[in-house]
Amino acid sequence: MSYENQVAPLMPDPEPDSEPLPAEAAGNRPAAPAKSARLGIPRSWWAWIGSPVALLPFLVLALITGVLLNASALRNFGWSFWSFNYNFLPQTPDQSSWGIGVFVLGTALTAGLAIVFATLLSLALAISVVVYLPSGPSRVLNMLTNLLAGIPSVVYGIWGFVILAPYFGITVEPTLRAFLFWLPGFGGPASEIGSWGILLAVFLLTIMIIPLTTALMRSALQSVPRDLVDSAVALGATRWEVTRRVRFRVARRGLSSAILLGLGRALGESVAVAMVIGGVTSIPVSLYSASTSLPSFIFFQLDSAFTYPDLLVLLVEFALVLLIITMVVNIVAQRLTQTELATATTVGTLLSEEGELER
Amino acid sequence: MIGAGLAIAIGVILLVAGLGGGYLIGKGAGGSSNGPNTVTITETGSTLIYPYLLVLAPSFESVYSNVVLSPAGTGSGTGISSAESGTVDLGGTDAYLTPSVAAQHNLINFPVAISSQLAVYNIPGITQHLNLNATVLSMIYQGAITQWNDPLIQAANPGVSLPAHTITPIHRTDGSGDTFMWTSLCYMAWSGWKQSYGTSITWPVGPGAQGNPGMVQLLSTTPYGLAYIGISYLSEIEAASGLQWAALGDNNADYNGIVSASGAGQQNYILPTAQNISEDANLGLLNLQPPSVAVSLILGGVPGATNLVNGKGGTNATAAYPTPYPDTNLEYLLVSSAPASPSHQTWVLAFLEWALAYGGTYAPKVSFLPLTPAVIGYDMLALDQVAIGG
Repeated sequence: MSYENQVAPLMPDPEPDSEPLPAEAAGNRPAAPAKSARLGIPRSWWAWIGSPVALLPFLVLALITGVLLNASALRNFGWSFWSFNYNFLPQTPDQSSWGIGVFVLGTALTAGLAIVFATLLSLALAISVVVYLPSGPSRVLNMLTNLLAGIPSVVYGIWGFVILAPYFGITVEPTLRAFLFWLPGFGGPASEIGSWGILLAVFLLTIMIIPLTTALMRSALQSVPRDLVDSAVALGATRWEVTRRVRFRVARRGLSSAILLGLGRALGESVAVAMVIGGVTSIPVSLYSASTSLPSFIFFQLDSAFTYPDLLVLLVEFALVLLIITMVVNIVAQRLTQTELATATTVGTLLSEEGELER
Repeated sequence: MIGAGLAIAIGVILLVAGLGGGYLIGKGAGGSSNGPNTVTITETGSTLIYPYLLVLAPSFESVYSNVVLSPAGTGSGTGISSAESGTVDLGGTDAYLTPSVAAQHNLINFPVAISSQLAVYNIPGITQHLNLNATVLSMIYQGAITQWNDPLIQAANPGVSLPAHTITPIHRTDGSGDTFMWTSLCYMAWSGWKQSYGTSITWPVGPGAQGNPGMVQLLSTTPYGLAYIGISYLSEIEAASGLQWAALGDNNADYNGIVSASGAGQQNYILPTAQNISEDANLGLLNLQPPSVAVSLILGGVPGATNLVNGKGGTNATAAYPTPYPDTNLEYLLVSSAPASPSHQTWVLAFLEWALAYGGTYAPKVSFLPLTPAVIGYDMLALDQVAIGG
């Protein structure tokens, strides 16, 4: 017997038999059903309108990629494009260095740390909601987490900008430095401690992606078949053993996909990060350093780029790189959810230490 | 077969969407009109000019009841590019277009107000206005001066006990006219300034902040910090505790801060008072040859022009006293000299004339200074040019 472990991305609580997203479904089999054999015109008006609409995402994606490629003309900035040396000289653009390294590093640091923290917190939240809490508190917790997802990122940004930044600079960062100086990244020079920087950006990003990762993890854990769980309980497994050995193993792909989708969200976030990251294009020396990221840099330099054509081309190429990175992350995440688990799994193999999940 | 169906369907959708959009746009424009023959003057650009135009709009519209002034604060870069492409009537910018670029796009630099910039610091224990000259500021932002009690700073501030503490120079993260002014100052004042000047450069040292409000906020939480902030934010600076601004040195010194024998006297330190700022605007124009409003008033010079000071800029090193505040700027509206619709352009010109005549009384509301007679004189000449072009 085989179990599907399908988690529809961005759908917090999919029904067991929920239909796949209409756009995807129609995109996979365009206009195949209900089609007139002679004229090739779909009989149903809905199909007639629906099928081109289903093509829209492809068109938009192609259009964006095309426009970016066209605007940049893939201008070759030389090998220094892949370096950490960014030095823009507006009056002598020919002598500028256009390294993308610092921006990729800042993006990776902020998004990477945020997804680590968000994973830990979301997993705890999802487990307690799915496994431990009774349905009343669970529902309240779910509602609150989902509410968090509805807050626009600029609201997070202005909260960080006005309220959190001074608090971080005066209280949080000096305290962390005093106690965690032995941890790499936490013991930076005192001069680097300021209101805005990586730590604040990581904090905001973590809160922003928790609703998404929690919802996805929750449904991944819930999708574990009831009879598997019941059998494990019948065999005498404790709740924690059921969670760790059965739920985690069966929902492993769903959980990984949740993490990756959260990462994709964090990588692309521009406004909130831009408001608190500090926008410094040098390599950070600690978590307190001001830094920069690909999306926030593009956001901030757009107006200047109208004045300096070289900068505009550079921003477009940065956007292309960002597009590729987020695409890869999202595609991997989608593949993870869509791969069916062809498992001939028994509770016995799951509960045994050597239990193999796949094949 | 499917392709034909799709093509028809997409066509229908686009057509419907287009009609709907057009209808909405038409409805929106009609909704804001006062009458059947309403003219809308569109402006986009500098976020510094934007509040000024918002103040001007109601008064102007009360006189010209058939005209609506519609400004937008999008940034100087957007203002310039929109004016060049002709999608707006007026492009607001903190930096002038060089005469050759302006001529290429049939645009005219039209100054509407004078603004200024402060060097603000947060030094615990120091409440008075320090004396700082542009060379010292340039060295601080390059990382060549790192301590507040540096001998060069101490020499300009005899009797002040400066702390032996590291300076944190703060810069703007977003592209901005303020950065353009500040980097022009750094560029012209010291030959050791390795960065260029522009609305966005790569800074060798120090953290960044977003917008003038961000500069005020970050500086107030950064002891021993230094920041450049537009004078429009004077009240916010005064409200924040511990912030004070510097008196800036004029250009009677070389790039080592040493007064030359041929200079007009020793270096003077000038506070950004209304009189000192206006004086800078006047002298900047009067000393420029050939006369033009495409003038940087920073240190009384044009970047790139020959200079008595250090070969990088400055034209009025022998300015008469009282010497002007060196970090001053004209705020421009770019207007076309070859408009697509001459009849529409008459209303744009009517607004510019009205702004010349009456704008001065509204300028102080946004901490701008009224145009001085010298600038107004050049504006009048510019208006003639527009009229001929139209």
